[in-house]
Amino acid sequence: MRVFLILFSALLINNYVFIRFLGICPFLGVSKKLDTAVGMGFAATFVLVMSSVITWFVNKLLAVSGLEFLRTVSFILVIATFVQFVEFVIRKNSPALYEALGIYLPLITTNCIILGVAILNAQAKYSLLEAIFHALGAGLGFLLALVIFAGIRERLELYELPKSFEGLPIALILASIISMAFMGFQGLIKL
Amino acid sequence: MVVVYSTLLMAVLGLAFGTFLAYAAKKFEVKEDPRVELVKAALPGVNCGACGYAGCEAFAKAVVAGKVPPDMCTPGRAAGVAEKIKEILKQNAAS
Repeated sequence: MRVFLILFSALLINNYVFIRFLGICPFLGVSKKLDTAVGMGFAATFVLVMSSVITWFVNKLLAVSGLEFLRTVSFILVIATFVQFVEFVIRKNSPALYEALGIYLPLITTNCIILGVAILNAQAKYSLLEAIFHALGAGLGFLLALVIFAGIRERLELYELPKSFEGLPIALILASIISMAFMGFQGLIKL
Repeated sequence: MVVVYSTLLMAVLGLAFGTFLAYAAKKFEVKEDPRVELVKAALPGVNCGACGYAGCEAFAKAVVAGKVPPDMCTPGRAAGVAEKIKEILKQNAAS
């Protein structure tokens, strides 16, 4: 039961984009079109889950050898490896998505959600299963945020806005409004 | 001692992930037009975007595909990059 609480907590109540404000760069960068947003969401979810599994073991190794101060460096190493791997796979299997994601694909490495989840897993001393569900929730939450946002932004293209609001300004205002909506989930689950 | 252990640990981790990536790179290799590599090598490689493309690689692809003339590279103009690209394209035209 607890794993599902963790999953939904990371997905909705503590949504990493709207409540914790992590991963804002790709959130604003790839939310212009729905299909790239979905691709980015799944790529980030895959990297999140895989890197959480590996960092869980790395963290155990660091704890055993008393080298906890290497946590950040070694986690980044793991994350960078998986991002590179995802890049290979996407480039091979979906060149169109590779073109559309562009610079944001290697930038998953610096997506703070991924390092954040790995470090929170270590700090909360989650078990492996809990860590996986936490990462899955965070990834799906990121996907949800991107899809909601891309859907709205696609429609927004059709409207005539005041010149000073076109593009990113209105996107940031939108993000704040959705963020306020997500505040409504607060207190739904007590962990 | 801590220094030795941490160095050792990072070296082992780095080696393991590096090996994995090298294997993955071979496994998921994408066959590219070999001329793209040649053109990219001839470009200055500063990824400035003055040609209107996201980087030197994107520009090289566009040139090989014949979408843009080879003299669009502003930083390479003085060094004669356009001539080099024309040479490459002429020599390997039928490939």
